[in-house]
Parts: sequence; C-alpha cells; structure tokens
Amino acid sequence: MQRDVTMPQLGMAQDAGKIVSWLKAPGDAVAKGDALFEVETDKATMEVEAQAAGFLTGVSASEGEDVPVGAVIARISDSAEDDTPAQTAAAPAAEAPADDLPDGHSVTMPQLGMAQDTGLLVGWLKSPGDAVAATDVLFEVETDKSTMEVEAGRDGYLAATLAQAGEEVPVGGPVAVISEAAPANPVARSVAKAAAAPAAEPVPTRPQPTPEPSRTAQPAAPQPAGGRILASPKARRLALEQGLDLARLAKAGYPQPYHVRDLDTLRSLPAAASAAEVGTASRRLVAEVPEDGLPGFTAWAAGVHGLSDADAILAALAACSMPVPGPVSVERQGQTKTYALPAGRGLSDAMETDDAPALILRDLRGSRLTSVEMGGEATPALTLTPKGDGLTLTLECAPSEMDATDAIQLLSDFAGRVEQPLRHLL
Amino acid sequence: MREITLSQAVNEAIAEEMRRDETVFLMGEDVAEAGTPFKVLSGLVEEFGTQRVIDTPIAEPGFVGLAVGAAMTGARPIVDLMFGDFLYLVMDQLCNQAAKQHYMSGGKLTVPMVLRTNLGATRRSAAQHSQSLQALVAHIPGLKVAMPSSAYEAKGLMKTAIRDNNPVVIFEDKLMYQDKAPVPEEEFLIPFGEANVKREGSDITFIATSSMVQVAEKAAEMLAADGISAEVIDPRTIVPLDEATLIESVKKTSRAIVIDEGHQSYGVTSEIASRLNEKAFYHLDAPVLRMGAMDVPVPFSPALEDITVPTPEGVAENARKLCAGDMIHAA
Repeated sequence: MQRDVTMPQLGMAQDAGKIVSWLKAPGDAVAKGDALFEVETDKATMEVEAQAAGFLTGVSASEGEDVPVGAVIARISDSAEDDTPAQTAAAPAAEAPADDLPDGHSVTMPQLGMAQDTGLLVGWLKSPGDAVAATDVLFEVETDKSTMEVEAGRDGYLAATLAQAGEEVPVGGPVAVISEAAPANPVARSVAKAAAAPAAEPVPTRPQPTPEPSRTAQPAAPQPAGGRILASPKARRLALEQGLDLARLAKAGYPQPYHVRDLDTLRSLPAAASAAEVGTASRRLVAEVPEDGLPGFTAWAAGVHGLSDADAILAALAACSMPVPGPVSVERQGQTKTYALPAGRGLSDAMETDDAPALILRDLRGSRLTSVEMGGEATPALTLTPKGDGLTLTLECAPSEMDATDAIQLLSDFAGRVEQPLRHLL
Repeated sequence: MREITLSQAVNEAIAEEMRRDETVFLMGEDVAEAGTPFKVLSGLVEEFGTQRVIDTPIAEPGFVGLAVGAAMTGARPIVDLMFGDFLYLVMDQLCNQAAKQHYMSGGKLTVPMVLRTNLGATRRSAAQHSQSLQALVAHIPGLKVAMPSSAYEAKGLMKTAIRDNNPVVIFEDKLMYQDKAPVPEEEFLIPFGEANVKREGSDITFIATSSMVQVAEKAAEMLAADGISAEVIDPRTIVPLDEATLIESVKKTSRAIVIDEGHQSYGVTSEIASRLNEKAFYHLDAPVLRMGAMDVPVPFSPALEDITVPTPEGVAENARKLCAGDMIHAA
C-alpha cells in the first residue's frame, strides 16, 4: 500500500513550507516514525516523520523548494522500485478549486496533528456572502485530539463554502473561498458533491454522522505478554476501587493469579515506572536562532536591575512563551531549579517553587552536544544546544501533553525571546 | 443440657407431634414391630397403636401413594422410606403427585406429608443402599428438603416438617443415628430456611450439609492449627435455602467450599456454588469449590468406599490451597 507524504501545515497562516533538507534518500527503507525531511516556516524548523513503514519513493520536491501545504512531495511504497513520481500535487491550497467557483483565495483544512489525514468540520460561523475580516473565525474543526477555530486569514467575502457541518475534509483540501469583491452568487456545497462529478441537479447531502476516530490519542495501556491478567474477582474489584493497576504487578514479574493479598505488594511497588506510558509517540520540534541573546541580557539585567539569578530569567522567558504558563525547571549540569512566574508579573518576579514543572528547560549551552532526541518524558522538555554563535532549540513532548499548535507557538515565541530578549520587554 | 442420640431425637419429635395432633400418623416398612432397621421408631407402636403406626407391605410406590392421598384428605402422614435409594421407586408419587397437587388444584389441596428417609455411604451397604439423593428431590419445585446435621436439628426440623402444609423430604444420615448431641427437654422447633453458623471464622467458609457438617468442623479444627480461620455453616434446609447467611459469610471470608455427600456433578454443591458465584462474585478471592461424592456408584469394598466421600483431611487440604492462592482445577 502506498502512502503519500504531504507538506504539513505547521501554522494557521501558513500556505507553504520550505524543505530544508531531506533526511532520507529516494529508495531508502524507512520505519514509521523516521524523520523524512525538515521543514522551515517563519521561525520553527520541524522534522516530518514517516507515517508508515516502507520505502521512500517518488520524491518530487527538492531541498530549498517552497512547497504548498498539502502538496504530495513523496510516497512511502512497498518497494524501492516504485518510481512513478508523486503527483506534484495540484496543491489544493494554492489555487482555488476549478469549475464554477468564484475567484478568490482558498481556505484549506489545516493539519492540526502530524498523524492527521482529515478534519471534521464541526460547523460554520459565517454564511456564504458574508464579509469577513482576516481574524474572523470561519469554521470549527475537530480532530481526534481537539476542536479548533479556523480564521479567514485575509479580509474579503466568504464567496464559497465547500464542505458542510459534519463532513470530513482531507488535510489541505479546500473548505472555503475568500474573494476580494462581494460575490455575485455565493456558493455553498458539500464535500460529497465536490467528490461526485458536477451533478446536473443539486443533490442535497445530509451531514454524515461523526465517524469513529481512526486513532486514539493515548497509547494503548501496556499489556503483559500473555494478554489478560489473571486475578480474583475481589482483587480486581478492590484494585479498581483503589485505583491500583494490576498490570504493574505483572510487569514487575510477580506470578499470577493475583489475590487480595497481592494488592499489598502492588501498593508497595515504587510509584514511578510510568515513563513507558508517557508518550511513546513524541513531538519533536527544532528551532534555530542565529544569535544567543541571553548572556548579554542577563548581564544587563544583573548590572542594571540587580537580577543576579540568570536561571530565573531564563525560566521566566520560557514561562511567558507557554500557551498556559506553568512552573519551569531549569536543568544545568545535573542541577535543577524550578521557578514559577505569577500570572501577569514581570521577569523579575520569577520565584523558586517546589511544584512539579510543566516544562523542563535543559540548558546544554556549555556542552558539546549539538542535537538531542530524548524521546518520551513525563514532562515536555525544551533543550538548548549551541550552534555557532547561536542556539538550537529542541522541544520534545508527548502529543497528549501539548497539541501541535501550542508546541509550535511555545517554540516560536521562545526562539524569538532568546534571540532578542529585550524585545520581550516591549 | 442432656445429650441424646439422633435416633432418640427423631423418635421424640414424632412422638411429641403425634401426641399434639391426632391426625399425624406413621407408616412404612418395619416401622411398627421392628421400629425400623435402625431402631429409630422403637416404642412408638406401643404408645400409639397399630392404627397410627402402620407396617406396610414391601411396596414403596403403593404406600407413598396412600400417604399422598391421606394428606390430601386431611391426615398428616409421616412416611418412612427405609433407604434413600428407594426414592427412585416413588418418583411419580412424590414428584408428580405430592409436589404438584397444591399448584394444580389452584391451592384447594395441600399435601402435609413428611417423607422420612436417609443418606450416607461408608456403611458397607453397597451401591443400592448408600446413595445420597437429596439433589434429586431438591430439583423439584413443590418439595421442601431438610438435612439435619445432629440430634438437635433432627428433632427441631422433624417437628417443623410435620407441621408444614407442604410435602417435606427429610434426610437423616444413617451413620449418625447413634451420635449424641445436646437437645433441650423443652419443646423447640427449627424454622426452615435458616442456616446455622456452627463456627465463626474469617478466612474461608465451609458450607456443609448433614454429616458433612462434622467433616467441615473437623477440617476447621485442623486448619486452626495452621492459623487458618474457617467458618462452618449448616444450611439445615436446602429447600428453602438461606442464601443471605451464606452470601454474608462469603463476603466476609472471600472463599468457600461447599460440601455435600451427594454425587458432585449436578448436585447440591453445584447449586450453592453457582448462587455464590452469581451473587457474591465481586467478593470472591478464589473459586468456590465443590466437594461431593465421587461420580461413581458407591463401592462395596471398604477401602474404595472410604475414598469416594469428602474427608476432613481433603477439605483442609483444599482450604489451604485456596487460602494460599493456589489454583485448583483451574484452566
């Protein structure tokens, strides 16, 4: 089976992505999860992973090329010999759908998660013919992880709606057309109609029932080899009532079947051990800043404002970048300090706290490490590694911890603050 | 309190009820002159005469049929069936007639009849005189089934049975007739459907009938030495069954073994174990175990016969396994 590799949409206002480099060559065997290529948008550089195992074939975009969001740029095939080029996809985003649609700019279904093929149109907030501003919310989209509002992206008129509430639209597929002039005949149609050949008579389409999500956001609970855990009904009931996981006994190697007395053993097992349950699948976002503005800024802050704790400043800059600010740990050379920035307060107000961090800042600027891939951790981790005069910033988190948009926003904002910390004060 | 034998207790119960109610009469093979082969009824014919203590021909279907008719027309017969094994001979009279008259007459007829018979192996009586067939009659709606476990229960249950307006089958263990137990001299009755907690415990519940109560009590003694606390419960009547007491106990101990001398398959133990599984499932920390007689005709050979029935050692061994969390018979 072939799987198309498309240009993901990494930001809401993003029409195209630049291919920084291919990390696999045509014909290479790839495993699901292997990074295929790097994409650069405004600030973030991001690796795009293979969604299936196979061979990379049909590569139709080269390094340095700007590719429209949703365009097919390669294919994962069952054999390395598959050399039919991937359609340099009629990037649906780039051009308005043909036929009788009004002229204008297409609004496409955004890719809100890396593993997302389609989005469910929850509902329209504007009607065909309405005048819209760039920041007006046009429609709501639901994926298996979140529901999200999509903005018009430009001023104009909603000239056409190309999907109805309840319909699934492929990522990158057209959802609306925004025209500059008020449309004479605003169009409202459904995906079903668009798929069918232009029918002679309009067929009213009913909204389809919400399909079952094809993937679950959470990794499946770990199962011991051998499947079902043997336990007495009472042990099972008590475990359920007390929130104890019998699978941990199995993983720790205690022989089954389990009885009530084994619950004591279970209670005494060390609490941790949840690392394996934390995102096996992980998000990894990489940003680069050409210049590390932090040393100059902290020196200035210490000299002018007497803020001598550089870690507190670093933590505060990160906390301000988080969609929902929370405690930030700064890890450097085995030392960890956690800071909380009270809501609405300035950089100088970051205070040490014992709370569990919502983000770990791993400062490896003094090291020789240039790139990290730590894998799933219990808390999102942002790693700073040196690169020339600048820095590489790597954000890793489980999809369940932070959605794609938040991750992108966090890394983008933090990159900006690291490069020019003074801008933060403006 | 005075101690009397189970045999004396039955005799007293019948005599007291015959004195109290002149419609009560007794009939069966060798009940009058011989006082039964087990001498349970000795002396009754002297007090009540041959009009109320009647020797019958050796014809079980005939005299049980007579008793059903007498009960339907106002008398309160006690029928003596010399061996439980002879139940097969009276199935129609008991199960088709006695059990169903009240229902089929729309409540106009009652059959206040007691069928006294016995159970129990290890008396070297061979396969046709050693069976424990309580499951056979407990299966039939309309019959009540009592299983006294000592002289005390034998007296109290017999008196209740005689006063009951429904047909009651009462099984005495033929090996327990000479066993003594404290029995009050003053009158008492034991209501049906009330289990007796013979011994309290916290780790496992033994539910045992008739002579198996003694087996369970001995097993509980043995286990106490190992630090395992066993509760022993005697349901006393299996129809009606005091489910609530059994379930309460199992909820406390989380484990149970049901012991009855009938064949294990499709038997009393299976029924009680099933009810515990249905109604106390989420309180069970081990499978409910059945211990009945082996599914074989009772052997005549003493060496073989003795190993076909549950023993205190066997019960204790299974109890240890259940309490240790070992799997027994498990897939």
